[in-house]
Amino acid sequence: MATTTEDQSSDGPLQRWTQSAIKNPEKVYRALFYAAMIFFLVTTLFPFYWLVVLAVTPEGNLLAGSFLPTVNLFGVSGTFPLPVPKGFNPGAFINVFQEVPFHLYMLNSFALAITTTVIVLFVASLAGYVFGRLRFPGRALLMLAILAISYFPPAAFVIPLFQAFAGNAPITIPFTNIPLFTPPRLLNTPGSMVLPFSALFMPLSIFILTTFYGQIPDGLEDAARVEGTTRLGALFRVIMPLSAPGVATASVLTFIAVYNEYFFSSIMATSPEATKWSPIVGGILSYQTQYTTQYNLMAAASIIGVLPVVILVVVAQERIVSGLTSGALKE
Amino acid sequence: MSTDTGRESRRSGALVDAMRWMENLSDTQYAYLLLLPVFVLLGVVALYPLLRTFELSLYATSLDFSSRSFVGLGNYVGLFTGEKNQFLPGGTTFLPSNLSLRALLNSALVVTIIFAVVSVLFETLIGLGQALILDQDFYGRRWVRAAIIIPWAVPIVIQGMIFFLMFNSNVGFLTPPLADLGLLAPTNTLNDTPSATFIIIVADIWKTSAFMALLILAGLQSIDRGLYDVAKVAGATKWQQFKLITFPLILPTIGVAVLFRSVQAMRVFGIIDTVSSCTVVPSLSCMVVATFTTREGTSAAIAFVTAAIIGSVVMGLILWQGEDAI
Repeated sequence: MATTTEDQSSDGPLQRWTQSAIKNPEKVYRALFYAAMIFFLVTTLFPFYWLVVLAVTPEGNLLAGSFLPTVNLFGVSGTFPLPVPKGFNPGAFINVFQEVPFHLYMLNSFALAITTTVIVLFVASLAGYVFGRLRFPGRALLMLAILAISYFPPAAFVIPLFQAFAGNAPITIPFTNIPLFTPPRLLNTPGSMVLPFSALFMPLSIFILTTFYGQIPDGLEDAARVEGTTRLGALFRVIMPLSAPGVATASVLTFIAVYNEYFFSSIMATSPEATKWSPIVGGILSYQTQYTTQYNLMAAASIIGVLPVVILVVVAQERIVSGLTSGALKE
Repeated sequence: MSTDTGRESRRSGALVDAMRWMENLSDTQYAYLLLLPVFVLLGVVALYPLLRTFELSLYATSLDFSSRSFVGLGNYVGLFTGEKNQFLPGGTTFLPSNLSLRALLNSALVVTIIFAVVSVLFETLIGLGQALILDQDFYGRRWVRAAIIIPWAVPIVIQGMIFFLMFNSNVGFLTPPLADLGLLAPTNTLNDTPSATFIIIVADIWKTSAFMALLILAGLQSIDRGLYDVAKVAGATKWQQFKLITFPLILPTIGVAVLFRSVQAMRVFGIIDTVSSCTVVPSLSCMVVATFTTREGTSAAIAFVTAAIIGSVVMGLILWQGEDAI
């Protein structure tokens, strides 16, 4: 009898919660909601925590023992489920730049991303104006063609592009032997990456800008034209500034896409050297191939490389969400 | 001095002429004029290489690239009969040699399809969960959304490095517990085909679920909230609301998102190259890259098969969605 009352009082809070939960199911949904939210937060952010753990662990301690410490709590010993650093040495964040000129790789990535973004914005603005504001025969078919091309895998383009950028033989019209011209050697230069990036990421920007440019009232364009602006002037002085959010969305998405690109970045820069325009792909991989056991450097370089996009996501979150949803669903 | 001003005026004269010519174009002419840069760029970087890849796939190229001889569809026949398997790196095959798990995962075609189907399936489920969370109003929603989007913005090479470091046999702390469960090979994990395939699928799910979540969230937020008020008055439970209102209304969005993602997933290359290697997990793109400097015809044939598979999926999507696809 005494034990039962004790039991009842010990699981009292739980029982009381269950009782109130049965009366009020909202509470259960709320609890489930927070549990799910915490689960998603942990699974998305945990890999970054692991990078930090590795980066601050001194090199000598990396291979000794487990990252999951054994804890002794009130006489019960068990494995702590979360990895913790074995020591503390933030020096890896400086060593990263001494072993490999990682800052140069990042500068290359920035240069490639900004150049591509400028080209894409210009070309996609012209196309966005055409698709968003002009009615002409063949409009739907052309949009479909651009859409279809954007779906094709980079692997389907890489062989002829690599041969063309090597600049050894003249380009011929496909299925004939008629030579057109011999292209300059573009491998290991920005050109060999900016060209495929621009073509690959342009369709998304075209669709985003088409939506935004199409929403500007005709009256504003007409007013600018009456004032004596040329047709092109109206696009770049009136419509583009009025669609600033759309332009910002397209540029943020293009920048991130180029910064993240792997396929052409790893193939068109034939040697992973910063002086040969290799972007962060080459930089990160050179730690993997040259310093095969310095896992703390690999982790530190990854943290540094990921910072620009993390900042961009936090600052330009709204733009990314609206761009991805409007652009990608249109596609 | 006089020549200078002469050139100046002539140049501005040409500019004025060009502007006047542009002003007088019809809408259709003006549209095609402005689309010219798009045509040039896509023509040079997409259309020409696609046609040229198809052309190269019809030829056998000598190893030193000095001569090519026309073989028709010989390269494709070789791929599908297994003759070309000897040119693929590391004992991988194009079609599976038998139906055991290892042979299936050793086949470029099958492993690409398995990767696409499994990762997109889990991305859709997890993305749906994330979207349902982000659809609620709660304090700090902005930050939770940023945290969920961040993996999507992580460069592929860093994503690969993260999972390399998590499952590497020297420092990877996740390998022993998962090996105890029988999910991974306990040693040499990243060079074991089933284990590496598993890790690469997990890595892709981690990165791309957020993308699915955002697409599905857009679908969720377009639902008329009044429907839920009606359901509440009628006494529907949350589950019934989800099953009878939310799910049917977002199903078309999910369908488009799934096809869109599957097509992207079939391009997989970078994550394999970083975490493991193309000889361990042979995706189609991997095989193209691994062979294109030595076996041009074979490589071009694989590239064109990849393009054809993706092209037919896209055609299906366009036919299904019709004008709405744009």
